[in-house]
Amino acid sequence: MTLEVIAFWAFAILLVGAGLAVVLGKNLFHAVLWLALALVSTAGIFLTLDAEFIAAVQVLLYAGGVITVVVFAIVVTERLVGEKLSQTNRRIGAGAIVSLGLLALLVRAIAQANVSLPRPPLTAGLTQQIGTSLLTRYVLSFELLAVLLVVGLLGASYFARPEE
Amino acid sequence: MGLQAYLTLAAVVFCLGLFGTVTRRNTIGILLGIELMLNAVNINLVAFSRFHGGDAGMVFTLFAICITVAEVALGLAIVILLFRLRRTASADHVDWLKG
Amino acid sequence: MTRNAVPLVLTALLLPAAAAFVIGVVPPLRRSGRVAAWFSIACMAGAFVSAILGWAALDGATPVHVVWPWLPSANGPFATVGIFADAQSTTMLLLVTLVALLVQIYSTTYLHDEPSPALGRYYALQSLFAFSMMGVVLAPNLLQLFICWELVGVCSCLLIGYWYTKPEAARAALKAFWMTKLGDVGLLIGIVLLHRATGTFDLLELRAMAAAGGIPIDGLALITFCLYMGAAGKSAQFPLHVWLPDAMEGPTPVSALIHAATMVTAGVYLLARTDWLFALTPGVLAIVAWNGAFTALLAAILACVQTDIKRVLAYSTVSQLGYMMAAIGAGVAGAGFLHLLTHGVFKALLFLGAGAVIHAVHSNEITDMGGLAKKMPQTAIVFLVGTLSLAGVPLFAGFASKEEVLGAVWHGGFTVPFAMLLFAAFLTAFYMFRVVFLAFFGTKGHEGGEGHEGAHAHDAPLLMTGPLWVLALLAVTIGIYFTVNEPWHEFEAPHWLTYVAVTVALSGILLAYLTYQRRAISADALAAAFAPIRTAARRNFWLDDVFLGIYRGVLLTFARLVGWIDRYLVDGVLNVVSAWTLDAGDRLRRIQTGKVQDYVWAVGLGLLALMAWIGVAW
Repeated sequence: MTLEVIAFWAFAILLVGAGLAVVLGKNLFHAVLWLALALVSTAGIFLTLDAEFIAAVQVLLYAGGVITVVVFAIVVTERLVGEKLSQTNRRIGAGAIVSLGLLALLVRAIAQANVSLPRPPLTAGLTQQIGTSLLTRYVLSFELLAVLLVVGLLGASYFARPEE
Repeated sequence: MGLQAYLTLAAVVFCLGLFGTVTRRNTIGILLGIELMLNAVNINLVAFSRFHGGDAGMVFTLFAICITVAEVALGLAIVILLFRLRRTASADHVDWLKG
Repeated sequence: MTRNAVPLVLTALLLPAAAAFVIGVVPPLRRSGRVAAWFSIACMAGAFVSAILGWAALDGATPVHVVWPWLPSANGPFATVGIFADAQSTTMLLLVTLVALLVQIYSTTYLHDEPSPALGRYYALQSLFAFSMMGVVLAPNLLQLFICWELVGVCSCLLIGYWYTKPEAARAALKAFWMTKLGDVGLLIGIVLLHRATGTFDLLELRAMAAAGGIPIDGLALITFCLYMGAAGKSAQFPLHVWLPDAMEGPTPVSALIHAATMVTAGVYLLARTDWLFALTPGVLAIVAWNGAFTALLAAILACVQTDIKRVLAYSTVSQLGYMMAAIGAGVAGAGFLHLLTHGVFKALLFLGAGAVIHAVHSNEITDMGGLAKKMPQTAIVFLVGTLSLAGVPLFAGFASKEEVLGAVWHGGFTVPFAMLLFAAFLTAFYMFRVVFLAFFGTKGHEGGEGHEGAHAHDAPLLMTGPLWVLALLAVTIGIYFTVNEPWHEFEAPHWLTYVAVTVALSGILLAYLTYQRRAISADALAAAFAPIRTAARRNFWLDDVFLGIYRGVLLTFARLVGWIDRYLVDGVLNVVSAWTLDAGDRLRRIQTGKVQDYVWAVGLGLLALMAWIGVAW
């Protein structure tokens, strides 16, 4: 029972539990908070995979940015209605069938796949490597991503502009 | 932990996200489900990247996260707009394209 | 000399065809009316001259049989076209071309106030008819005969319905067509069965086979009966005679040509042509004889109660056709053929004469005529010649041929038909002289009608009286010739036959004279004596009603049944399928709920199905 195994299981249980709460919870606001926990747990998973940089980005952008925006959105829509938005689910049976079916198939596929690879040895400077790649090999995508973000920003602000 | 453990975890989270997308009434609830699905994909990517060496998977994950952020922003903008126009946050009421 | 008979006969056959084709295909010619008329007459005159020359060239020599292959088949041609010219066919050709020519000349005056395009149509049809009739006469095989036979029927229908805007004319034309068609079905079946039994259509080959005993007797009676059916339809034998009186709706020259001399004789001609075949089935011949005699008597009775002059002549034609058929049925086709020739001459004469009278008086009814002998002496004389021929008085054309027929029937041992024919002869003389006395002698309107002013009645122009004189002279010439030289017959006629025949004819004339001229016997009392027959005759013995009933009962019922099947079964199936499609569409439409989550769910389901199907994780 190495630390790594315990860490993995801990984060995994947190992630799945939080995920269940997100999709099954009655209160929307609570669901968002559970999502935040799920995202942070994912960052922990990334840490067990030796991807510190990605874990950091995850926490910053996802748990920080996305959750904030969603909370704002809830507050705005809730206020407009003036009551607590409660959640009920619809067509649970059909959804469960599809999800569980897909899960079963995927798990079996993974189990039958020949992917028992050992971890390759850790190379130092992964973050540095990512940074270099971003600006050399993937620079075009990087720039396009910037453009995308600007466009998205503009679009979102246009959509949600105050009424005249 | 082997690669399969991570892949299985990602599969579970993905199916949870799918369930949430299909069943939630509130539009923001649907977005939360989508978030989970994207998250699961990211775990997949990073795990494969780690076990095959190289950084390609990590870079891909980076991009995925950034684009997800943009997508969430826009999605919420749409939700707010919809709310303003039709006074509803329930996805069941958005059925004007029905045959 | 037979070498130059072929081109002459072919010219006679093809000149009218060319005329018909040209008039039909060149619209300005057809619309010009009179020009088309004289063009057709010129071609017809050429045909007549060729026919005479051809007949002379062939006189006594061996028959000419020239054919060209037409429909191919594995061993030799399946069917041929050509001509078969022997004494019988060239003589018939003479009759056809002569009467056709005279009728066409006559028509120029009779139809002089018809619109030009209609006149062009008339002459095109006349030429076409002449060609098709000659095709029947000269046919070397049964297939060509049948084709020309049908063509003759078509021309007859179109000519009867010449004034097609008149509903009665249109109906009469269709009635003629369908009645003869009924017979033609039998003819076709007979031809096909004969081909199946013998393997050939050709008349010469068939005759050789019959002589050598090569035609199977099994089923031959059916074949000959079917052939007789075709003849009975065209030659107006009972019960298919009902179309002929109605066919009088056509112009009188048409009646003279088609329903006196040529088309109706086609049936008789067919039987005369194939008498060697019928000789193998005496049972069918007996039917022919009995039916012929019966038809003769029936038609004679019906003629006695008609007041329309053309209808009297029509029924008279039916009656005389019965005579011809009776002679053939008795086994002496020559007698029937002789009567066909003489009848063609004097019946055409009578019809054209009646046409002159109608043209003058503007009415068909006998009651509108009277005392015309003074006003139209030429017409009266020629009409009298024709009537005497028809009655069978010596020195006139019909006498010898009628006596031949009676002799043949007696010789064949058919005593009851003989008696029927004799009685029919008596009635023939009676009703024809009834017409003569009422129309030409006496005073007008004696039977109670108001007619037209007779001031207009005068002899017709030359182009109408010319043909009349030609035919009258021909009738007298033939009559004198045959009275002096007895026609050669194949049998010994009883010596008392001539006396009986002449006595019967004269007594008929006497009765008519007493009743209608001298008024010694009251016509009404005479009619009242035979009241039930008279009533039945007035209604044509209800034959028309029977046919109508069969049509309504059988044909219309069948049509309604088929219509029901079409509407409810065939259309019903289609309607059900279409309704189901619409219903299914309505239901399937509900898959599109418009909600995005359902679409995502569907995508997930599809993914699941896809993964399961391609065997992932199996």
